[in-house]
Amino acid sequence: MRRALSVLVVAGLATGLLDAGQSAALLPNAAGSLKFAVIGDNGTGKSPQFDVAAQMARVHQFFPFELVLMLGDNFYGSQGPADLESKFARPYRPLLDAGVTFQAALGNHDDIATIHYPPIHMDGRRYYSYARGNVRFVVLDTNVLDAPQLAWAKATLQQAAEPWKIAYFHHPLYGNAGRHGSNVDLRVLLEPVLLEYGVQVVFSGHDHVYERLKPQRGVHYFIAGSGGQLRKGDLQLSDTSAVGFDQDQAFMLVEVVGNELYFQTVSRSGVTVDSGVIRRQTARIGS
Amino acid sequence: MRAVTSEAGPRPRHRKPRAGTMRDRPTLRERLTRWRPAIVGWWHFAAEHLLMLPLGAAIALLWVNTAPESYYRITGAVDFFVRDVAMVLFFGLIMKEVVEAAAPGGVLHPWRRAALPLVAATGLTLIPLALFVAVVPWLDEPRVIEGWPAVFATDLAFGYFVARAIFGRHPAVPFFLLLAIGANALGLLALAAAATAPTFDLPTGVFLMVAALTLAWTTRQLRVRSPWPYLLGAGGLSWCALYFAGLEPAFALVPVLPFVPHAARDRGFFVDAPATARDPLSRFETWARHPTQVVLLLFGVVAAGVPFRALDWGTLGLPAAVLAKPLGLVVGVGLARAMGLALPDRVHWREVAVVGCIAAIGFTVALFFATAAVGPGPTLSELKTGALLSVCGAVAAVVMAAALRVGRFHA
Repeated sequence: MRRALSVLVVAGLATGLLDAGQSAALLPNAAGSLKFAVIGDNGTGKSPQFDVAAQMARVHQFFPFELVLMLGDNFYGSQGPADLESKFARPYRPLLDAGVTFQAALGNHDDIATIHYPPIHMDGRRYYSYARGNVRFVVLDTNVLDAPQLAWAKATLQQAAEPWKIAYFHHPLYGNAGRHGSNVDLRVLLEPVLLEYGVQVVFSGHDHVYERLKPQRGVHYFIAGSGGQLRKGDLQLSDTSAVGFDQDQAFMLVEVVGNELYFQTVSRSGVTVDSGVIRRQTARIGS
Repeated sequence: MRAVTSEAGPRPRHRKPRAGTMRDRPTLRERLTRWRPAIVGWWHFAAEHLLMLPLGAAIALLWVNTAPESYYRITGAVDFFVRDVAMVLFFGLIMKEVVEAAAPGGVLHPWRRAALPLVAATGLTLIPLALFVAVVPWLDEPRVIEGWPAVFATDLAFGYFVARAIFGRHPAVPFFLLLAIGANALGLLALAAAATAPTFDLPTGVFLMVAALTLAWTTRQLRVRSPWPYLLGAGGLSWCALYFAGLEPAFALVPVLPFVPHAARDRGFFVDAPATARDPLSRFETWARHPTQVVLLLFGVVAAGVPFRALDWGTLGLPAAVLAKPLGLVVGVGLARAMGLALPDRVHWREVAVVGCIAAIGFTVALFFATAAVGPGPTLSELKTGALLSVCGAVAAVVMAAALRVGRFHA
């Protein structure tokens, strides 16, 4: 039953079969807005990762995002200098050459030493924060969510003056994929912090699917863990799921315009599988 | 003066209740009275057979995989109390055994006897550690490496239980105990080296520890016969010292107990002190024996909850490493013999191999070391599962003992 529901949702969303250029048109593409892409579980160095990267580069021509959020598992397997080249620099070369900045979180397959790899801008930190426009991004290391990190997250969010607060990390607090699903231990620790300090949107990876959750206690959760990896047919949609896509690799495009955050999820082949807008304060979502 | 009524006295006035009414049913007190012998008997059986921690672990696994939200909320609320406060009793009792073992008749007396096992403990721990470091990258979960102090862990109590089951009163048993003490001592150093606690204030910690040891020494000089000034005074200061230094406060009694006066002769490892014993260390043991069982049950519940869906290949890192403990021990013993040290009587290479398997059981201590070394999250879940799987060392020990015909399997 759940499986059939998943297929129905995906089929319903994909009826338009828009190409990359058209799908980008679903976003306002306003001048001066913050535009970014989101990928997770991408660092395989295999052809699906290259395909997604090529699709992102194509979209970038129409929708010039300045930033890519990496949700962890940026590198699989060996992670020597040659691997970093083949699993990151080569696939994303067009975007890097276009001046796009990558900001990574650590996944369970990432060597801690990669925090010193300059192109992913972690600057030697496991967790960090930065602001772009009217958005404060908080990047966490959920592999080990220790007390100092939690205290840091609280302090950072408390001091953040930006109207939008977005957190991203590898392990999803809510999710309906069969392989891993929700990380309840992390949720119990982290959710009170997100709620107390007004985080509106959370991006995670880990499960190799795309899923948008219905707002949980007012927070919008996305899983975008199919930026290179894919676990086909792994989604087992439940009442908490809004949209899921587990038939192909995918990445997200996001645009923040004032009090509205637009998102669009595009598959490896350029099909839009989900889109919508989140309005700040009202916490209402519309597709 | 109390009135005495004869059995032939007047019958009570109240009417006999009819069948099926509430009066037929025993009250809670009556039920407890009826069940008391069975409960007490089960409690003693569970304590003697070290079942409380496995019971706690089983409860945790069932709970976290059926109602994870309530599990994490409730255990999260008591985690600090159980792990950092109550576990002081468990490690205190283990340290008490070590202190008494250094008395005449104990396996650590004189210290020269302990030389070979303590040297061999380096092989027992460092070779599995090397394997852990080598294996984890292959499992493609590099963060598991942060739990490296857990490799050093050997469960003294559970291992002793298995060793006695296999060897009876063979000298291989004290040999195992000495190895376990050495390995866990190295593990404590590893934990200190890996410490990343937020309240790291070493000068305050050192100051408080000096104060704790001075108080313990002074109390001994004053010939205080009550255990409480040692435990609450010096032990309390020691707890604060470790806490401020960013080390594990559960080991608070470890530096204090050597100052506590104890029996002139060792009664043997894990032999209960008689009720007539008046020395402060025995009185501590008599008092702490049963509360510690409750603590172990709670620790099992708090520490062993692992959601099965969180597990990945990194889970295999710790079990793979501890599998190398028999090899590590053989190498360590070879090193010690090359240094001119001798194995105990009747302990040969076959016994050494079996003891190596028993030493692979990390269980309680491995759970504790893993939790102390790595913060909450999926990496810790994988390490905890590895700690639970290390109990398989008991099966490996029995199989190897049967194959090599040692201990109870000796022809």
